[in-house]
Amino acid sequence: MNPPQIELVEPGVYSVLADGRSYEARVEQAESGVVVFIDGYRFEIEVRDPRRWSRQTGAREIAGRLNVVAPMPGKIVRLLVTEGETVAAGQGLLVVEAMKMQNEVKAPKAGRVISVAAREGTTAAAGEILAVIE
Amino acid sequence: MFRKVLIANRGEIAVRVMRTLREMEIATVAVFSDADRTSLHVRMADEAEWVGPSPSAESYLRIDRILEAARKHEADAIHPGYGFLSENADFAGACEDAGIVFIGPSSQSIRRMGSKTAARQMAVAAGAPVLPGSPEALRGVDEARAFGARHGYPLLLKAVAGGGGKGMRRVDSGAALDSAFRDAASEAERSFKNADLYVEKLIERPRHIEIQILGDQHGNMLHLGERECSIQRRHQKVMEECPSPLVAGRSGMRERMGEAAVRVARSAGYYNAGTVEFLVDGSGDFYFLEMNTRLQVEHPITELVTAQDLVRLQVEVASGEKLRLRQEEIAWRGWVIECRVYAEDPYNNFFPSPGRITRLEEPGGPGVRLDGGVYEGWTVPIDYDPLLAKLAVWCGARESAIARMARALREYDVGGIRTNVAFFRQILEDEEFRQGRLHTGFVDEFLARSQPLQAPPELAAIAGLVAKHHAAAGASRTERVSTPRSLWREIGRGEMLR
Repeated sequence: MNPPQIELVEPGVYSVLADGRSYEARVEQAESGVVVFIDGYRFEIEVRDPRRWSRQTGAREIAGRLNVVAPMPGKIVRLLVTEGETVAAGQGLLVVEAMKMQNEVKAPKAGRVISVAAREGTTAAAGEILAVIE
Repeated sequence: MFRKVLIANRGEIAVRVMRTLREMEIATVAVFSDADRTSLHVRMADEAEWVGPSPSAESYLRIDRILEAARKHEADAIHPGYGFLSENADFAGACEDAGIVFIGPSSQSIRRMGSKTAARQMAVAAGAPVLPGSPEALRGVDEARAFGARHGYPLLLKAVAGGGGKGMRRVDSGAALDSAFRDAASEAERSFKNADLYVEKLIERPRHIEIQILGDQHGNMLHLGERECSIQRRHQKVMEECPSPLVAGRSGMRERMGEAAVRVARSAGYYNAGTVEFLVDGSGDFYFLEMNTRLQVEHPITELVTAQDLVRLQVEVASGEKLRLRQEEIAWRGWVIECRVYAEDPYNNFFPSPGRITRLEEPGGPGVRLDGGVYEGWTVPIDYDPLLAKLAVWCGARESAIARMARALREYDVGGIRTNVAFFRQILEDEEFRQGRLHTGFVDEFLARSQPLQAPPELAAIAGLVAKHHAAAGASRTERVSTPRSLWREIGRGEMLR
């Protein structure tokens, strides 16, 4: 059996011939690795880079603290919790509006809201920290 | 005929309208906000005019600025598209006053149909079937309670000025009425600056089937058949088809619905293109819901099945021409399915996903029509609705149209932002969908029961190889391949809680 042939055909797009079959794969850079798309299926592939790893993890969770980040760029229309409040997993924390739609950002875990960085009426970038839960 | 037409819209519908205008050798004027300077509709137009900052309230909804642009560019007529000012009677009236033709119905017809209770009364007068309901706005929750006592529960509270499911609440018992009434009224107030509600008997698992009508200014009116629009999420249509699997199987149903729609439109003194929406119950009985006084988002499916160009017909009747088309000349051929491709992430609770399109590969080949408003390298702004394109396919029968849509979706690749393409591929696999058992609660039930798409195992291996190869160019070492994310069930639960 021949080893698979991989050719770059367009920026970020590879044509793969393996066992006589033809595949097309597109690679996108993601936060902690790459995402590969084949036939509309999405594969997340982690990149192990010790430096990057510790920084990423460090930013996300320190001693049970979890940053709640904006899932998309948008306007903060309403805060549903205040600092010090205890929340259940899945409870709505705030409402973000983008593209004419309002969406609730929910608590990823149960805990206490130790800080709320988001302000009503302001715009948040994707990935921006909105609140911290402990 | 007009020499020049301004399109008071953006995105895919502005592009779609311009295509027909170009075929008619009519010059086109685009309008744009700050966010849209490099949008496709501006690039495509013969002329273009800036109308304000990005928020639509300061640009696309500014009647004064749109009219000023039309005067400056000496446009004879304005096509409003859908959304924005398309169903704004004041705008149509301002066009009439300014001597610029509004490509649509009269401001009077728009005003009549804009009030859901007035539209209902008109339907009753025209002899169209309606559900039991309050003829006028409720004076208070007690009137709703009396209605519930008389007609039973569940019932539906709706906003008089409503649309898009805003200010709408299902009520299952008298005990739940007070809070539902309060919520619906305050949502209606927020959305439409009008807290008035009315009440209707609720149909369980109804279909949403609508009839396209078209009239000229000389009293001729005809219908172009139905569109099945039951596949909705949060009261927004996401997938449409023509014919309706239900209507196609019942002889005479299309004619009965079409005649009822024409009667309603006639009684409103309507002209130009419009859509009469009906709810249909399990036994095939249909009830007037409302009338949309504009071109619908999903108009292409009617165009493909009837071989007509609705925008051309709109322009012709707006210019005063008589309809040459006769009812008996309209034939419905084949089967069409349409998917609305949105910039949203089906794996992350359908959150909007604006941003830069790093790659755009669009489907083509036999029987494929793509109405798009974007291009590779363009950044999808956060200010407007997330519709990127409408993908419609035509084939001889429903089963082959489903296969063709699955094929076209497989060719569709949008990079840099997320889209709902994978969501459609999964719906097409669903047995209930394939059997044509559709209703407006379909998507919620589907999300609750559906299994994650299983990628063929060899694809994960290929993905790993490609990632390694890709990383070889960079510095990082790649490891662990995770299988496609399987959040469908979670999404289903989340959606059911709404």
